[in-house]
Amino acid sequence: MLENLLPPLNSHNLPYPDTIHPIVVHFVIAMVLFAIVCDALGFFTKNPRLLEVGWWNIFASTTWIFVAVIFGQIEAGLASPYPAVVSDLNLHTLIGWSLSGILAVITGWRYIIRLRSKDSLPVAYIGLNGFLLALVLFQTYLGDKLVWVYGLHTEAVVEAARGGLL
Amino acid sequence: MILSSFSAPTVVATANGLPYSIPIHPNLVHLTLGLFILAIAFDIVAALYPLEKPIFKFLAIPVLSSNLYDVGWFNMVAAAIVTFFTVAAGFYEIILAEPPMDTVSPWGLGAMDTMVWHGVGGVVLLGLIVGMTIWRGFQRYLWREDRARQVQWSYLLAGLGIFVLMFFHGTLGAHLAADFGVHITADRLLRSGLDPNAQLLNVLIKTLRP
Repeated sequence: MLENLLPPLNSHNLPYPDTIHPIVVHFVIAMVLFAIVCDALGFFTKNPRLLEVGWWNIFASTTWIFVAVIFGQIEAGLASPYPAVVSDLNLHTLIGWSLSGILAVITGWRYIIRLRSKDSLPVAYIGLNGFLLALVLFQTYLGDKLVWVYGLHTEAVVEAARGGLL
Repeated sequence: MILSSFSAPTVVATANGLPYSIPIHPNLVHLTLGLFILAIAFDIVAALYPLEKPIFKFLAIPVLSSNLYDVGWFNMVAAAIVTFFTVAAGFYEIILAEPPMDTVSPWGLGAMDTMVWHGVGGVVLLGLIVGMTIWRGFQRYLWREDRARQVQWSYLLAGLGIFVLMFFHGTLGAHLAADFGVHITADRLLRSGLDPNAQLLNVLIKTLRP
């Protein structure tokens, strides 16, 4: 029934030309990583301007991650994962949804820190940034595997899946 | 017997045509695009700040437009630095690409044409990003140092023009991956008549039980 509501799926098994999730995550990945770099530089050099750059980057990344999760969920639903893919796709989905919450909480805390003392960051926040860095890098690695190892939404894999070869 | 138990992982490890399992170029692309686009976006937000004042006030977010320009500047500098590595990794991985020559992309280009355009476009974009960074630096430190609006409208317009170029350029790169399967393990296994399920699950089992 759902098939009748969607536009016809193309050779990437999508109702639109190319995957959108990997485009949206450009913004999340770049801004989270750059926020962490600016926070660290600002923290150690005591430069409040860099801390501001860190704040605006983490703030913007939080707005974008929700867009990334929505498209990620749509495209995961259309990915028709074959047995070798399932566990990595599940983990990527779980961490993706969790990251939207984690980023929102971190940004909320940062908002309060920024209101109270604009020119410094607590050590605990830098520590949390370290945890965030590890999580985002791991999540990016999982997403990389889905595209570059498993080839989800690529023509060859979609064709093989439709032909019942996977 | 011993040989056969080691052969499967070897096939997969080299199956993407690279000496490592995940291509580097597409990961640096996240940084180039994300940082450049956000740099321009923040400069636009800063330049239009008088219009947005009530929105930020409603959200109770204190804003100094000079801080928004800082984001525009530092993100642009970072984009310029990273992009040298993005282009370098891209050329390395394009040299090692072995795309199928018998198919065309959704834009009707063959693999070789797509790679050439993506390669040329990459160098052009690197030049444009570095040029924009230098232009931005002149505006920030010399030409408009004492002005409330730190960037020229023409700079923002040029940035939007580069977004369009990036869209076409990025779509060519997406074609290389999703249509030609360049450096994608599963695609290359399928094209050589191997089942990625068997191959990739094999690796999983072998890594668990070495």
